[in-house]
Formats: sequence, structure tokens, C-alpha cells
Amino acid sequence: MSTIAYILMFALIACAISVSFSKNLLNSILIYMGFSLIMSVIWIILESPDLAITEAAVGAGITSLLFFITLKNIRAMKGDEENE
Amino acid sequence: MSKLRFSKRDTKDFSLKEWMDGTDDPMITGDIEMKPQRVHKDDFQTVMKHMRDYEKVERHLYDSDKNMGVRIFNKLYKVSSVIFTILLIGVMLYVVSYLPPVGNASNPDNNIVAQRYIENGLQETGAVNIVSGMILTYRAFDTFGETNVLFIATCCVMIMLMLDEKTLKEQEEQVQNTKYAPMNDPILRFAARILCPVIFIFGIYIILNGHISPGGGFSGGAILGAGMCLYANAMGFTRTAKWFNENVYKVAKITALCMYGLIGSYFYITGANGIENHIPLGIPGHILSSGIILPINIAVGIEVACTMYAFYALFRRGGL
Amino acid sequence: MGILDYIRYFFAILLISSGLILFIIEIYGVFRFSFVLNRMHAAAIGDTLALSLCLGGLMLITGFSYTTAKFLLVVFFLWISSPAASHLIAKFEVTTNENVTKHLRKEEIGK
Repeated sequence: MSTIAYILMFALIACAISVSFSKNLLNSILIYMGFSLIMSVIWIILESPDLAITEAAVGAGITSLLFFITLKNIRAMKGDEENE
Repeated sequence: MSKLRFSKRDTKDFSLKEWMDGTDDPMITGDIEMKPQRVHKDDFQTVMKHMRDYEKVERHLYDSDKNMGVRIFNKLYKVSSVIFTILLIGVMLYVVSYLPPVGNASNPDNNIVAQRYIENGLQETGAVNIVSGMILTYRAFDTFGETNVLFIATCCVMIMLMLDEKTLKEQEEQVQNTKYAPMNDPILRFAARILCPVIFIFGIYIILNGHISPGGGFSGGAILGAGMCLYANAMGFTRTAKWFNENVYKVAKITALCMYGLIGSYFYITGANGIENHIPLGIPGHILSSGIILPINIAVGIEVACTMYAFYALFRRGGL
Repeated sequence: MGILDYIRYFFAILLISSGLILFIIEIYGVFRFSFVLNRMHAAAIGDTLALSLCLGGLMLITGFSYTTAKFLLVVFFLWISSPAASHLIAKFEVTTNENVTKHLRKEEIGK
């Protein structure tokens, strides 16, 4: 394992902890997107590009899109809170 | 032709069609009037009264100054949660210390099965990409289960979130009238007009090259679904419905699943009984090679793309 | 290694290092600016200019091949998608933020 893999893994742990500690739900989703991107880079370092493509498309793209729509539908975004 | 046949009442075809459409239930005799459920709406005064009552009860219950039990419970809860977390971390680290190092030759994952996959994989499956050859031939049954999971998941989401057409039309008109909807933005439209073909071609490339280069049905289908989400966002759902509506969705999804089931079951039956199957393996490295992997990849790709787009459309507006 | 290779590597290093410097500027701007549109501008610089400079340097190093064409496609993709995304963010911010006149001059958004 190279040095960059260790750095990425520590970033992964930091992301995982800060998802649960962030006060704003939108922020946690954005951090989760970052988590998925770092994970896809780690998959490439571990020599499995199949998983990397899937992780980047599903984890960072579509899962967070669905989370955004859900937040919008339950009116949990920050702007809506201020208006009400 | 089919319209003529279905137009006669009291034939079996007609009653089957009625039952499929949901207009008639053969279990119920006689006519029943179908009424949509009325939306339950409370009076504003009663809602406020309930809220006030709830607040009063809550204030009384969780008053930590007066209530001795709540105070003790709060402290106990914090202490026990910290202890539990530390214990969990300790147990996990203890287990990790027993794991073998990565890349060791004597690890338990370097067993006969892995050796066989690596040595005979190219001859038996014809796929240059070993991972694709493994998950779509040796472990095709697993992947079939995963594809079914996707199908069932979309069915559940449709049951929960699908709206009827009248509400959908009203919603669509509302969206079209707003000035700030993303579909009324010319820059986004221009970008989508250029980007969507590139994304679609990239997704199809990944699906078709699943047995040669990294990728396959799942990743390519996810990319196709993402491209369709972009198209729907930029051009609006009414324009997307011209080429991808509910009927196309149903036909594509069920055909893909049945295709996978048929090809897969042929493969399982011949493989389990030791019969020679007649699907040619071809020359490794060519597009038309490696037997059943290419059609199965296409089926999985269609399934995943439909799932992704259906999730997006159902979450966004409650209809395809 | 001939003299042409040295010149090629020199230009590649020039491109990649300028791209990295722009990346640093981008990250500094994203974390230091207080207004959304300023931050968005900084991020857009990194997405378009810095990334294309870095990829151009890599293309110079590898020489023309199948991979280089893929790099070109990546640059093309980013040059279209990133400005569109930035435009949408800016539009959303200007239409929804009530205090936008604090940071902008009024006649710019009024007309």
C-alpha cells in the first residue's frame, strides 16, 4: 500500500465521522458524496476499476440525487426552514 | 386486430384485459363504484389545540428539574452510550488484529476456487475481464438475485409514490408555468443537448465492452440512468415521456429480466447436468465473444438504467 | 532522449505546475470567500482551467495515443458541464437569496 492510499483512508474515516456530526442535512449529503469519490479512488488503487466506475456513478451520482429530492420533498432544506 | 377481439364483452380475452387494467375484479360480483380517497384535512383550530396539548404534556414529562427519573435516565443514557461505543470499537479492533495481512500467499481467500477461476476462466468463459466472467457465468445465479432485487425495489417505490394521471398533468402545468424551473433554462438545454448523446454512448460502450474492459451491466446501466436523469431535468418530463413512458418502461424491464432468466436457466441446466451447451465462446477479445456474458450484460444494463430513471422520476414527481 | 523530448517535458512540467498552482488558488478561494457567487467563481476556475492544464500536460508526456483521445473527451465534457452547473447555481442563488443586494450592485440584477 502506498502513502497516498493511507492518506485517502484517513480522509475516508474523517468523512464518515463528520457525516454524523454535521448539523445540516444538506452538508451531510455533500460529505457523503465526497466519501463516495474517495472510495472510488481507493478502488482504483486496489486494482478493481469495475467497482470504481459503479461507485462513482451510483454512490456519488444517483444516491445523492435521490437524497436531494427526498430532502426537497420533506422540506428539510435550509432555505425552506427559514421561510416558514 | 387485437382491438376488435377485445371489444366483445363476455369473452375470456376481454375479462383478462379488464382484470389486467384493473377496471374489473372477477372476485367481486356486481358493479362497484370506485371513488378516490378523500384527503383528510383537520380544522386549523383543532390542530393548534392538539399541538398545545402535546407541548404541555412534553414539557411536563421532560422537565428535568422536577422529574428525578428523567434526570437519572439522561445521565445513564449518555454514560451507557459512550461505554457501548467504546466496547464496540474495542471488539472490532480485536477482530481486525486477527485478520491476515493483505496480499499474503497463505491467506484463506487464495483457495482452490480462486485458483480455478484464474487458471481456467479464460478457456471456460471466454471473457478477458476475469471479474465479468466470474460474476456472469460461475456466479450468474447471484447476479440474477441482484437483478430481481432491483425489480422488486422499483415495484415497491411505484406502489408507494405513483400518482394518477390527472394529478400528474396538473403538476406538470404548474412546473411549466414557473419561470425558475431548470427545464426553462436555455443554457442547461444547450449543455444537455451536447452532453446527453456523449453520456449515452459512453454507457452503451461500457455495457457492450463488459467482457473485454472493466465495466459491465451495472456500471453502464447506472451511467445510462444518470444521462436519462439529466435529459429529464433539462428537457422536462413531457418531452422525455415521448420516448420513455410507462409502457416502454414496463416492456423493457420485464423483457430484460425474462431474457436474463431464460439465458441463465439454459446455462444452469446444461451446466448442472454436464450437457454441452451450444453457445459459441468465440475468440477472446472480440466484441461478439464469450458466450452468454454479452446478452446478460445487455439485460442487466437495461434493468439498471430503467431502475435508476424510475427512482428519479418517481421521487421527483410521482410518475414516469 | 533527444532535445525534442527535453522541450516536450519542459512544456509538460510548465503546464502541470501552473495547473496545480491554480488548484491551490481555487481551494484557497473556496474556503476563504464569504459570498456564494465568489466561491462559485473560484470553484469554476479549478474545474475548467486548472484541470484542463493538468490534463494537457499529461497528454504531452504520454504522446498521442488512444488514452490521449479519452483525455480530450474528459476536457470537452468538463468544459461544457461545469459552466452549466455554475450557471444554475448562480441563477438559483440570485433568485432565492434575499440579501443578494448586499454583495451586488443593484442595477446589475435589476435590469
